[in-house]
Amino acid sequence: MTAATEDLLRALAPRVLGAVVRRYGHFDLAEDAVQEALLAAATTWPDGGLPDNPRGWLVTVASRRLTDLLRAEQARRRREETVARRVLPDEWLAPAADRPPATDDTLVLLFLCCHPALTPAGQIALTLRAVGGLSTAEIARAFLVPEATMTRRITRAKQRIAAGGAVFAAPSPADYAERLGAVLHVLYLVFNEGYASTSGPRLARVELCAEAIRLTRLVHRLLPEDAEVAGLLALMLLTDARRPARTGEDGALVPMDEQDRGRWDAARIAEGVALVTDALPRGPTGPYQVQAAIAALHDEAPSAADTDWPQILALYEVLLRITDTPVVRLNHAVAVAMVRGPRAGLDLLDTLPGRLTDHRPDAVRAHLLEMAGDTAAARTCFLAAARRATNLAQQRYLNDRAARLAPGQ
Amino acid sequence: MKYMILLYGAQRDYDAMAGRPGSANPWTGEDVQKLTEFMGSWWADVVASGEAVDAQGLTAPVHARRVQLKDGVPVVTDGPYAETQEVLAGYNIVDCESFDRACEIAAGLADTPHPAGMELTHEWHVDVRPVAGGAEESLA
Repeated sequence: MTAATEDLLRALAPRVLGAVVRRYGHFDLAEDAVQEALLAAATTWPDGGLPDNPRGWLVTVASRRLTDLLRAEQARRRREETVARRVLPDEWLAPAADRPPATDDTLVLLFLCCHPALTPAGQIALTLRAVGGLSTAEIARAFLVPEATMTRRITRAKQRIAAGGAVFAAPSPADYAERLGAVLHVLYLVFNEGYASTSGPRLARVELCAEAIRLTRLVHRLLPEDAEVAGLLALMLLTDARRPARTGEDGALVPMDEQDRGRWDAARIAEGVALVTDALPRGPTGPYQVQAAIAALHDEAPSAADTDWPQILALYEVLLRITDTPVVRLNHAVAVAMVRGPRAGLDLLDTLPGRLTDHRPDAVRAHLLEMAGDTAAARTCFLAAARRATNLAQQRYLNDRAARLAPGQ
Repeated sequence: MKYMILLYGAQRDYDAMAGRPGSANPWTGEDVQKLTEFMGSWWADVVASGEAVDAQGLTAPVHARRVQLKDGVPVVTDGPYAETQEVLAGYNIVDCESFDRACEIAAGLADTPHPAGMELTHEWHVDVRPVAGGAEESLA
């Protein structure tokens, strides 16, 4: 299949599923039917040529397949006599498919896939399949789990949706903000999964970042006025822009102040900066916008030394007021150290609640001690952080920092 | 039939790979990259042949905790292993037609690259053990 056909299918997937579910209901079976229609398209279109109306073709094939699946399902139920006779649900008499929907189907699908009744892992898997149009095998590969595990995860998520009686409709105005927040959080998790982990096949991981950006772009197109959607998209672009410079040739982590800024993606930075600049004055100011604004200040600095730390510190103080988490406090302490000196940062670290048990508090302390010139203590902290780290690239980075501070130097 | 391939290592081996200062023969970034690529392509072949079930690597032994009874009360101990003690470092589960085939897959690991002149704490080996029937559902 050519990349163009694949892009087209992935773009059509949520709209086809939306049309089929809107017309017939049965999200769980409809989702299977659409996957099969996509597969049929992927195998027949390259040779047979693109149909005149690709979306219509997919809706027709998926609807036929859904009818088969429903028949089989009903026959099975009759056999089992668990349900005497299934009355066709109201959805069968749903409005004509050409009636313009009040809310875009893709958005409604996203709300359904990120339903609060699902586990985060289930939300992510279902979103990537139903909205992203990825196959179960592709999602399994990206998350480094066996395909059978991912199949079970998706099946369970769909069962929960069916059992919960979730309807294919936009959330009520009262729930809207919270439900949109859940959607954005899922997209954020997909991006982080791709970005934070440097283990495993790197290509698959990069694809997760790209997929998160693609889906967030989609949501931004549907809700252009929402400042947090724009903020999240900006945050992803501004973070992803630094990816090419983040690992050395041998796969080692390169900290931001040592990265070759010439390798940062200028187009992504320009797009991210424009998005967040446009979103911030519109308000209300949310955590994604503030984080994007911080990322923008880093990305716009011509060198590490030219970074506008006072402005970054001010933004971390805003962020602390919105979301006071241990990680935000840790980053805030770094900003304080960069503006008021390492001792001020270290004093703040001492007040940090001990909820973070990973390597990060030790790593930050080590960096600040090194800044303060306390080489011996810095080395001890780097070694302690390396012991706590569970990721090999991070362990190697922290051990290397310790080695640079070898006793006697 | 499912088989588990068990891989072993000692804290000393983990430290060398992580480039810990003072460890014997610390690995370079290039050494680590070679190993990662080798393991990746070895497992990718198993995935491609449809025989892969699951693969997990375990963090360094210092992260281990032991839960044991002391005077009839469960007590948790951090880092119960000695530096040189060989412990489970990871496993791969394969689903293949015979025990011989599982051993053939495992033997592919014999060429695992490591830095020149490096000495493992224990001589290289992996174990292959058949998974008891019915247990597979709980493993995924």
